[in-house]
Amino acid sequence: MSRRPLSDRVQAWDQALQAVRAYFRGQGLCEVLTPVRLPEVAIEPYIEPVRAQGGLLATSPELPMKRLLCEGAADIFQVAPVFRAAERGRLHSEGFHLIEWYRRDSDERDVRADVERLIDAVFVALGRAPLEGWSSAAFLPLLESTTSIRLRGDENAAELEEAVPSQWRVQPPEGIPASARDLYAWSALLTSWSDAALDPWLEAQAGGVHIVDYPPALAALAQLGAARAGEGVAARRFESYVGGIELSNGYHELRDAAEQRRRFETVAALRRGHGAPPLPMPESFLSALDRPGLPACAGAALGFERLLMLASGAGALADISLGMD
Amino acid sequence: MDVSDLKKNAKLEIDGTPWVVTDFQFVKPGKGQGLYKCKIKNMLTGAVIDRTYRSGEKLTAANVESKKMQYLFSSPDSFTFMDNETYEQIELAHDVVGDAKFFLLDNIQCDVLLYNERPVGVSLPSHIIMEITECEPGVKGDTATNVTKTAQVETGKEIQVPLFIKLGERIKIDTRTGEYVERVNK
Repeated sequence: MSRRPLSDRVQAWDQALQAVRAYFRGQGLCEVLTPVRLPEVAIEPYIEPVRAQGGLLATSPELPMKRLLCEGAADIFQVAPVFRAAERGRLHSEGFHLIEWYRRDSDERDVRADVERLIDAVFVALGRAPLEGWSSAAFLPLLESTTSIRLRGDENAAELEEAVPSQWRVQPPEGIPASARDLYAWSALLTSWSDAALDPWLEAQAGGVHIVDYPPALAALAQLGAARAGEGVAARRFESYVGGIELSNGYHELRDAAEQRRRFETVAALRRGHGAPPLPMPESFLSALDRPGLPACAGAALGFERLLMLASGAGALADISLGMD
Repeated sequence: MDVSDLKKNAKLEIDGTPWVVTDFQFVKPGKGQGLYKCKIKNMLTGAVIDRTYRSGEKLTAANVESKKMQYLFSSPDSFTFMDNETYEQIELAHDVVGDAKFFLLDNIQCDVLLYNERPVGVSLPSHIIMEITECEPGVKGDTATNVTKTAQVETGKEIQVPLFIKLGERIKIDTRTGEYVERVNK
């Protein structure tokens, strides 16, 4: 697969953007554009913001969009330019666009349904057949069926170490404090599993796949709760894959400011442990979560270029990029 | 250096040996750690191996530099080169020069690789032109290139050349494979 002629690329971008906007407008969402240079971004273990003259370029529009919701905005979407330092590869670029949206009075299943319809809308707009349906797989049962590793989901770092095969054991960087060891261990497990078994399994699935019910340590900005009555507590988070490629990540959004602060602090401790540059605590966001507070809502982000790549039948982001270098 | 500084041609020091990254792929599952799947080449032996690094890992950059030098002469123990900038002369042992010795024409320009300021290797231009100093007579009119004979070039190296090549002619040689490329017309 190789780079498409410029005229084809320009046309594909136009068709895909039109399809995205038509989909969300048809669903009654309002389009917004939030600032790209920000004083604070969500603190993530392995996402590095690009620094820009006293600010940070958005790694995602999540915090500014949630602040709009806190202030009373209705359902909103945007196609946001985002930047992530040092991510370069076939499926990664340091600058790309996230389609991000929020629905009030909704949970993660509602925005998961958006993911499916949005992908089909863009596929059809680019002359491709819609996907052959979607399936959902919960994180822990899928881990067990692809590796025979059986976990409860609340294991600590030492218990995880015991449970995983020896080649998955990674010596954590020395500086990681006790408070962040579990997060480190679960992140390392996710990476090892993806590389060894999950990605090959995902690539073999004909339709789209949602991975749901993440272990609490990997909740990120999602609420914890039982997805169905009588089930254990899991993070109300999902990731959506097509052809083995991760397209989307969504949450039933966490609204508890104190819990959100604890999670950011854990991530900040992990980052200190592996020597990542410190990031400011998102105080303005936390303050808005506290008061006026975030309305009950669900949101998701979907990588625009990856979607366009799949819908164009291309094999790498570079094949559809409008970057001229 | 941080693993996120990895790129093609980055030089790493692993267990006291310099390695160069010849290829790498970045993959990252969701919000997990990034994996940097590298092919790295031992700069001393040329051996290539796979190595995968994770986000957050620290690596040691190898103090490797390459200097433009001119080959001057050889002695039974060493080969002498001159730094193009400082005119300083250095001696490289036979085992450091290795097979490059077959292509060391007088005054040829090379890149000498220094690891912790010690010369560890020589890289030659990918193609050089040498004169045939010994071979069977040429077979006139036979332009086939798939039938070859053994000839010797000015450094004494033996090389397979097509039958039409004659004594005293000049040929282009690929120094990476040691193979004949083409005849060079005067």
